[in-house]
Amino acid sequence: MRRAEKIGLGVALAGHVLLFTLLSISFSRPIDPALYKPKPIEVSLAEDVALEAQAPKAVEPPAQSKAPDQGSPEDAAPPAPQPEPEPEPEKAPAPPKPQPKPEPPAKAPPKPEPAPAPKPKPAPVKAKPKPEKPPVKAAESKAEPKKAAAKPTPSKAEPKKAAAAPAKAETPPSKAKGTGSDAKSTLKRPRGSLLDDDFRKGLVQTPSPSKSVAPIAAKIDAKSLASIQQAIQRQIQPCADKQVIPGPGATDIVTVLNLRLNKDGTLSATPKMVRQSGTDDQNERYAQRVVDLGVAAFKGCSPLKLPPEYYSTPSGGWNNLNYIWKLGGSR
Amino acid sequence: MNLFFNTDATSLSPIALFLQADWIVKIVMLGLLLASIWTWAIIIGFLMRLGKIRKGVQRFERDFWKAEDIDAFYRIEGENPLPTARVFAAGVKEWRRSTVGGTIDRDGTRERLATAMGAAVAGEIDELSDGLNVLATVGSVAPFVGLFGTVWGIMHSFTEIAAKQNSSLAAVGPGIAEALFATAIGLFAAIPAVIAYNRFSHGINRIEARLNRFADGFHATLSRQLEAEGKR
Repeated sequence: MRRAEKIGLGVALAGHVLLFTLLSISFSRPIDPALYKPKPIEVSLAEDVALEAQAPKAVEPPAQSKAPDQGSPEDAAPPAPQPEPEPEPEKAPAPPKPQPKPEPPAKAPPKPEPAPAPKPKPAPVKAKPKPEKPPVKAAESKAEPKKAAAKPTPSKAEPKKAAAAPAKAETPPSKAKGTGSDAKSTLKRPRGSLLDDDFRKGLVQTPSPSKSVAPIAAKIDAKSLASIQQAIQRQIQPCADKQVIPGPGATDIVTVLNLRLNKDGTLSATPKMVRQSGTDDQNERYAQRVVDLGVAAFKGCSPLKLPPEYYSTPSGGWNNLNYIWKLGGSR
Repeated sequence: MNLFFNTDATSLSPIALFLQADWIVKIVMLGLLLASIWTWAIIIGFLMRLGKIRKGVQRFERDFWKAEDIDAFYRIEGENPLPTARVFAAGVKEWRRSTVGGTIDRDGTRERLATAMGAAVAGEIDELSDGLNVLATVGSVAPFVGLFGTVWGIMHSFTEIAAKQNSSLAAVGPGIAEALFATAIGLFAAIPAVIAYNRFSHGINRIEARLNRFADGFHATLSRQLEAEGKR
């Protein structure tokens, strides 16, 4: 071998070693393959977001809480004798009723006109037999001659009013006990209040299941469904966190579980797997285990509190719901 | 910044590709790597030798045509390893052998001179083009050898698919990459070999032509000298 060939061999050898070393060396950290592993993300397609009424159906208003206000109508007003205004002399004894009038004397002064004034009106026309009272009030009535003159024709009706007015004046004092016709009555006079003494009679010590029914939504939309999904997720999270992840890759498995729920949020049936995705060679042996863990999580945190108006609507509800179950908790 | 060798499957490092390959593909790769080293050794050797020869031949011819006395020049340059010097020495030796006797056969001497110098030229060219056949071989064969390695590696990958029951790209990809690396090395060795072969055969042809021209010129000189000897 000649000298030039020896040199050539040495140079070629050195060059190849250098080249392959440079190609094999990297100057930074190796690329972590986990960085490039696509992580499954959850996409919920909300296709039904049109403007549709989701308001609850109008329901009949709940019954008023009113207990029967029982008791004998002992203080019923005496039958009004006014329908017969003619028997004036008989009426004359009736006026004794003014007896209670002295009781509300303070009230009387502000309204002298309503009560006494009408009386004079019939007086000038028909009540001439009444000698005592009219003279005094007649002077007043004269101060209002126009009224008297202006209402000659309705004067027949006036007596009724006049009679009604005293009757009205009578009722306030009649609230006072003992003013009724039934002197033996000890009951309070019914006042028409919704909160009477009988109000609490309906309350019993043992809790009774409410009969009130939540209004049903007209329709469940995708948004509400998504929020229900989130509510479920939030509520089973404590139980989901307790489940032990069976192996690497198990958290990538996405399982759709079918939930059958009762109205009170309990499971009416064991959740069933609808479909599963995210399995590959590594984690497919955990597929059934993930389903079992999901069922366990639901059973553990079972009475779910969900909005009752969406329990069952014409377009579905959470009585029969597909839930996307994924191990590893927080999404 | 830390240096280290990439040996994982995802990197394109030659060492990683070599280590993960099948053993037959490994042999192919090693052979091709050796061929590449040999090729480059020959290329470098050629570059150095041809450059030196070209310069030496130029200088020798200039000196030769300037020289007054051939015998004196032969004494100086007779042992020179240059091809031109060897052709010159072959001519002078033949001349001396032919003219050592009393009578000179001019035609025979001329013929012998031509033959001796032609043989010297052929010998020199033979010696010069010693590594060219290696370059030619590597240039034509290395791609096929690499292809063989690739085919074998891909076959291996397919059997692996059958064995693993998994045809995902992650399972097949590395095997195919390793297999293709064999072809890559084959081309890596063959391309410089082919280029160098063409370039050096051209260079050697030029040197041969130059040697022939020198031999012709020297032959003419000796022929003239022969005529002058004959008149004496």
